[in-house]
Amino acid sequence: MIYGFIKGTASLIAGLGVTIRAFFQPVVTSQYPRELLTISPRFRGHTRLLVDPENPEKNKCTACGICVKSCPSGSIKKVEGEKKEGEKKKTATEYLLDFTTCSQCGICVEVCPFDALDFSHAYNSAGYKREDFHYDLVKELMRNRVQ
Amino acid sequence: MVNELLNMASSDAGKMVLGLIGVLVFVVVNALLLTWAERKVAGHMQRRIGPKEVGPFGLIQPIADAIKLLGKEILTPAKVDKPLYYLAPVLIFVPVLVSFIVIPFDASLQVTDINVGILVILAFSSISVLSILMAGWGSENKYSLIGAVRSVAQNIAYEIPLLLALLPVIMLANSLSLKEIVEKQEGLWFVVIQPLAFIIYFIASVAETNRTPFDLPEAESELVAGYHTEYSGMRFALFFLAEYTNIFIVSAIAATFFLGGYQGPLLPGIVWFLLKSYFLVFVIMWLRWTYPRVRFDQLLNFAWKGLIPLAFVNLIITGGLLKI
Amino acid sequence: MSGIAEEIKASVMGAEPVEVSYPEKGYHCALETSPDKLPDIVRLFDEKRFYLECLLCTDYTDYLELVYLFNTHLSPCRVKVTLKVDPQQPVAPSMSSIYASAYWYEREIHEFYGVLFTGHPNMTYLFLHNDIHDYPLRKGKVPVPPEDKERLDSFKPGEQEDTFFINLGPQHPSTHGVLRVVLKMDGEYIEQAEPVLGYLHRMHEKMAENRSYQQFLPNTGRMDYLGPMSFNLGYVLAVERLCAISVPDRAIFVRIIATELNRICSHLLWVGAYLADLGALTPFLFVFDDREQIQDVLEGITGSRLTYCYFRFGGLYNDVDDQFIAGTKAFVKRMWGRFSLYEKLVTGNVIFVNRTKGIGTITGEQARKYGVAGPVLRSAGIACDLRKVESYSAYNEMEFNIPVGEHGDALDTYKIRIAEMENSLRIIEQALAKLPGGPFMAEKVPKKLKPPRGDIYQVVETPRGELGIYIVSDESDRPLRMKWRVPSFSNLMIFPELARGMLLADAVAILGSLDLVIPEIDR
Repeated sequence: MIYGFIKGTASLIAGLGVTIRAFFQPVVTSQYPRELLTISPRFRGHTRLLVDPENPEKNKCTACGICVKSCPSGSIKKVEGEKKEGEKKKTATEYLLDFTTCSQCGICVEVCPFDALDFSHAYNSAGYKREDFHYDLVKELMRNRVQ
Repeated sequence: MVNELLNMASSDAGKMVLGLIGVLVFVVVNALLLTWAERKVAGHMQRRIGPKEVGPFGLIQPIADAIKLLGKEILTPAKVDKPLYYLAPVLIFVPVLVSFIVIPFDASLQVTDINVGILVILAFSSISVLSILMAGWGSENKYSLIGAVRSVAQNIAYEIPLLLALLPVIMLANSLSLKEIVEKQEGLWFVVIQPLAFIIYFIASVAETNRTPFDLPEAESELVAGYHTEYSGMRFALFFLAEYTNIFIVSAIAATFFLGGYQGPLLPGIVWFLLKSYFLVFVIMWLRWTYPRVRFDQLLNFAWKGLIPLAFVNLIITGGLLKI
Repeated sequence: MSGIAEEIKASVMGAEPVEVSYPEKGYHCALETSPDKLPDIVRLFDEKRFYLECLLCTDYTDYLELVYLFNTHLSPCRVKVTLKVDPQQPVAPSMSSIYASAYWYEREIHEFYGVLFTGHPNMTYLFLHNDIHDYPLRKGKVPVPPEDKERLDSFKPGEQEDTFFINLGPQHPSTHGVLRVVLKMDGEYIEQAEPVLGYLHRMHEKMAENRSYQQFLPNTGRMDYLGPMSFNLGYVLAVERLCAISVPDRAIFVRIIATELNRICSHLLWVGAYLADLGALTPFLFVFDDREQIQDVLEGITGSRLTYCYFRFGGLYNDVDDQFIAGTKAFVKRMWGRFSLYEKLVTGNVIFVNRTKGIGTITGEQARKYGVAGPVLRSAGIACDLRKVESYSAYNEMEFNIPVGEHGDALDTYKIRIAEMENSLRIIEQALAKLPGGPFMAEKVPKKLKPPRGDIYQVVETPRGELGIYIVSDESDRPLRMKWRVPSFSNLMIFPELARGMLLADAVAILGSLDLVIPEIDR
């Protein structure tokens, strides 16, 4: 019993030792938003359209609609495009993504035959209403390019 | 006018009033400081930083919290027993204030020196159990009730070793006055003569203040918040304030009884007293952020089968040695 | 394996067990039976010390089929017993008096299919509420009859003198989610405990029937948000087995590394949450420090930090890079050095030991009757780890131990989880050393999967224990039925028995030791 008592007391003191050492060690947290961490290159934000490298005025999406069909949550509401003169394929003019129901599974990115989709690195999206997360990816692309 | 005020201040009654105001200010400042300190200590023990945004080192944070609590709507659940429910947070504050009157912060810094000082503190601190019971019973909440019942059982059990651990010191000092006990420790602190009593007192005082590992009355993983589950806003703040002030009081008594109170070289007495008290407060916080909680039956077994017999043995040995 | 078929034939008149190919089906023996013979067969399995692994129902429109899966713990011998039930008047005998685990499974089938189990002591609803109009998993529209709706409110407490009821949850700090446990208390002692489920019920099994195999992939991580890799893995293994897709070696090893990292992550969180249940909050932050390292590593390859969806049929979402390998190595090194800290802070702590020793003791027999799984099962001394017993991926090439307990109490489950973390680190080290080059994705995976007709049962060991996925394919691109046998569900079943007569504080300690993930139970 006495041995148990001594052992118990020793274990309690050992525990105190752990916490007091931690007390004097430097903190491991980073002070967001004063410190920002680098975002992993594969981070999955909402999807974004990619620019056609041959023609920077154009996005790569041809509005084929495969992503619309493959989305498990039906988050891609509408993809429309039009064919410009002298081009073989359509180019998307509207790509509506309802980000509120999207689970960032990436099936749309994988099935896209033209590799027109990618994940953005927008990690701090915030808004006051659901409509704030209904993105038109074509417009987003234009806006980001202007910036 | 000024003369009159000075006259008043020098009279006994005036000293009392000034002292009470001082005590009130100290209680509030101390509680605010301790909530900040607790969060800082917890933060650094968990390798994070704790409050930092409001004021330098987050020092203004408790004031911001207090304002938030003051600004909250005071909710009263529909089914509560109103008189008990309203009275409990007020009543828990009375013993806290009274205890401060007799604690000697320095040789001359004491509101009043009663020759049964320690008895006053112990007698009044028993009232806080009553208010916890009132809060638990009046809330009409099962969690609160269980918390209150636990609290009563715990406080009764731990009051005994607490007293028994103080008795040898009283015997050594031959006085119940806190000031005299401090004076007797000039040169040699009682903790050297009575290490066992000090440990017993310290453990019992952690239990008396419902702190981890003995925080069963408010065990948040079992009872949500225990007896103050149904309290919000300023009423909750009063419980909170009382808890932190109690921590300071038990530490101050330990410093007075075992660590020589305001005695110490070089620095003024009050600094020594506060240093010793806050060091003990830090240890209590340190315990909280290290240990899990004990179980109810283990808690009571520890008091009745462990601490109380041990305290009695210590008391008898001390008495015997004094006789010789 | 052939033994059991012979024995069934000898013991039960007219039973016709058929041996099937285990690599194709995931079970060794199939047997069709009739309601009158079922009790005899089930009793035979009970005598042979099988446990009821899963009980499920499939709607084939013409008939309902009840599937009882029996298995033994140490040498896998899975027997599928099927019973056809008339869809108009679905009635079957209840097996809950023989196997305690059938108690909840039968209730589940009752509310989803309307099968009435005769002799069941409490044929009330488990997940749904009384606003439901049609049986959700039936193929056609089958309305719930009014007399059935009266059975919906599952728990009606009636207070007696000297006892009172406490709701532990659905919003309670120690239920880790939205589990509700109704406790009938006598002072601080628990007389009866009744878990009430369904607060997080999302009907993943129905969702699976309404989307293609690929589209269901992200759902898997949402069931067990703490061990999504294992759920991911189980699902892709099941579909790959069903469609006979072979996976390149590199992908297999990366899968193992990712799954084991995730297992450590899950166990770490459990340690923190369990200590928080017991009142110590500092370990919680310490484990988050460690977890953060794992999540950083996994985020680098998967792109997410919690509900991963990394495995694909035939391989992986994308290849791992040097940064991942370096990060994993750094984590493994760091983690080996952290155990001594947990040892000092938690394992050795006398308060912790006194709180958990002898609490929630499970015997081997109880574990079998309730079909408990994972560390809880192993705490009862049964060395059943599916990574070894029914090896999948390349776990048979790895060297690791199966830690088992002696007493079956909460302290044992804690020690087992700590030891499992060490073993996972060993597996990761081995897999990193063996990691081959080559492609990370099989070449010939059809875009649209249409598996051949038939069923399959695939098991994997998740951090919480046995996950079983039963898929029935009707050659279309959507499964006809997908049943998820989840470990937390069977582990929670034993809680009422463990909690009886214990203190409230012990109930919290027991509930924590089971390591429940509520979204997984409710699915």
